[in-house]
Amino acid sequence: MIETAALGTDRPDIAKLLNARTAGSGHRTMMFAHGFGCDQNMWRYVAPAFEADFRTVLFDYVGAGGSDLSAYNADKYASLDGYADDLIALAKALDVTDGVFVGHSVSAMIGLIAARQAPELFSTLVLVAPSPCYIDDGAYKGGFSRDQILELLEFLDSNHMGWSEAMAPVIMGNADRPELSEELTGSFCRTDPEVAKRFARTTFLSDSRADLGPVDARVLILQCRDDVIAPASVGEYLQRAMPGSELVQLEATGHCPNLSAPEETTAAIKAFV
Amino acid sequence: MSETAGRSVASTSLGPIDFEDVFEAAPCGYVLADKDGRVSRANQTLAGWTGKTALELVGKRFSDLLPVTGKIFYETHFAPTLHMEGSFSEVALELVRADGTRSPILVNAAVVRHGGDIAQIRYTIFLAEERRLYERGLLDARNKAQETIVSERAESELREQFIAVLGHDLRNPLASISSGIHMLDKETLSERGKKVIGLMGGSVVRAAALIDNVLDFARGRLGGGITLDRDAAEPLEPVLRQVVAELRSIAPGRTITANYKLDRPISCDRVRIGQLLSNLLGNALTHGAQDEPVNIDASASHDELIIAVSNGGQPIPSQTLERLFQPFFRGEDRVKHGLGLGLHIASEIAKAHGGTLVARSDTTATTFIFAMPLAE
Repeated sequence: MIETAALGTDRPDIAKLLNARTAGSGHRTMMFAHGFGCDQNMWRYVAPAFEADFRTVLFDYVGAGGSDLSAYNADKYASLDGYADDLIALAKALDVTDGVFVGHSVSAMIGLIAARQAPELFSTLVLVAPSPCYIDDGAYKGGFSRDQILELLEFLDSNHMGWSEAMAPVIMGNADRPELSEELTGSFCRTDPEVAKRFARTTFLSDSRADLGPVDARVLILQCRDDVIAPASVGEYLQRAMPGSELVQLEATGHCPNLSAPEETTAAIKAFV
Repeated sequence: MSETAGRSVASTSLGPIDFEDVFEAAPCGYVLADKDGRVSRANQTLAGWTGKTALELVGKRFSDLLPVTGKIFYETHFAPTLHMEGSFSEVALELVRADGTRSPILVNAAVVRHGGDIAQIRYTIFLAEERRLYERGLLDARNKAQETIVSERAESELREQFIAVLGHDLRNPLASISSGIHMLDKETLSERGKKVIGLMGGSVVRAAALIDNVLDFARGRLGGGITLDRDAAEPLEPVLRQVVAELRSIAPGRTITANYKLDRPISCDRVRIGQLLSNLLGNALTHGAQDEPVNIDASASHDELIIAVSNGGQPIPSQTLERLFQPFFRGEDRVKHGLGLGLHIASEIAKAHGGTLVARSDTTATTFIFAMPLAE
């Protein structure tokens, strides 16, 4: 209990730090966590569907979206534990207990780590396109060779592929796209390039297989078809490694079903929570 | 639109457009894909770049054209951005050719919606080999420059800390010598003895001024800045007279004329203004014509304090004039003594007082003018 208090006072405004947005109402809380390469906006077509029944919380990890970039610390965020600490701090600051955690991609593992450390926070874990390890390892097929991942990291080091610089929104003037004229260009999927390099390193070199195994929470795994980042073999591996977990095969293809097939994703989650 | 021999041709008031040809032979690659990024059509230009036929590309995902790095970027950032923003431009990727080699490319993509759903994704691709080489060159140069800055900054800090310590260490023995000189001065001395004491005193003055300048410089660079201790109650004139007297004692053969019109209270740091005058005067004596007088004019009007020091001799060239106030600048004639700090410190003192220090030089005279605003 003392530890809890210490965590709370450690970060006086964790909600502001992580640009947390709450909406909806319900006696349970549903937290949505984005994956590498994006920010909380990736949940914009899914989260609203749950506002009638849950208090929904969206947030940005440090270095993404509208988070406080000055809080980025290379040492802390060199491992997923650093991210899990932030998640736990935020959940506690928001008095989340018996909540639902929805994590995309690497966020699924961050949620799992957090749930192990603080089991009272989440009683339901929804893992969307998750992967505990991206590098092939003997019989385990993560989807990439070590060389390929190292090549990715080297490439990120010396190439600016298209991350939005300085996370500053630019007003878009678009007469022929009236639905977007009110919104800011470059304000979605904001990721600081320097942070992206390091988050990529943390994500793609991570191996969370040791964190798998029985958990108290109910676990749902959403597996996409044709997902290069989290292939079917990984989904199956996860399901076997987490006894009692449910694996749902989506029709959606690619790595972000919450964007490419939001209705299907929403339905699958609703059926479970 | 009219169909002519199976090709789409539109007649506009500006003339017909063969859209089929415009698509196929565009000076860029053009890919049309479904909402999942699966290629429905690729143009000839792109096919040529990939080393495959346009038909072979149909059904592949756009990300299949990219190496692993590009695939990961596509799935984690490119595609999500397309879904939410509707477009994504200037993405720097690589195209994998049929023979396994890679070409740097730049990609723009935009979605077409029917109702709310994505009906089509359109990609334009440009080769960017030259651009990429240029960017790499710039990045390398920037990294090297940054490394140089870091190491030079470290060296510079060490040097300045050394100077600061040295300056402090030198003041002590100098203070001893100075009090020793004052004590001796009270003794009965021969003519020669008095002369020697005079010369020793002059040397101490010079040395002390040098140490002051050096310490100020080191402190300024290390972030201390020139601190002022303003006092309008104490008169400035006696301090200036003292400075002139000290420098007269160092340069006995020289003519130094001084005019003072300081009949009002002046809010300034007297010691600093004295230091400024000392530096300007020392400079004039060292670099001016040795057989011409040095003139000092100090006057305070209702809104301005002006101290001007002028000497004769060769005019200072304009390129030199520009750089005079930089630290360690010693001009063409390095034989003349000095570290090159005096003018820099003087200009810093001027700035600290909210004033200016300018230099003018022609065949008649070289004049340094310090001007500082005064409250009414």
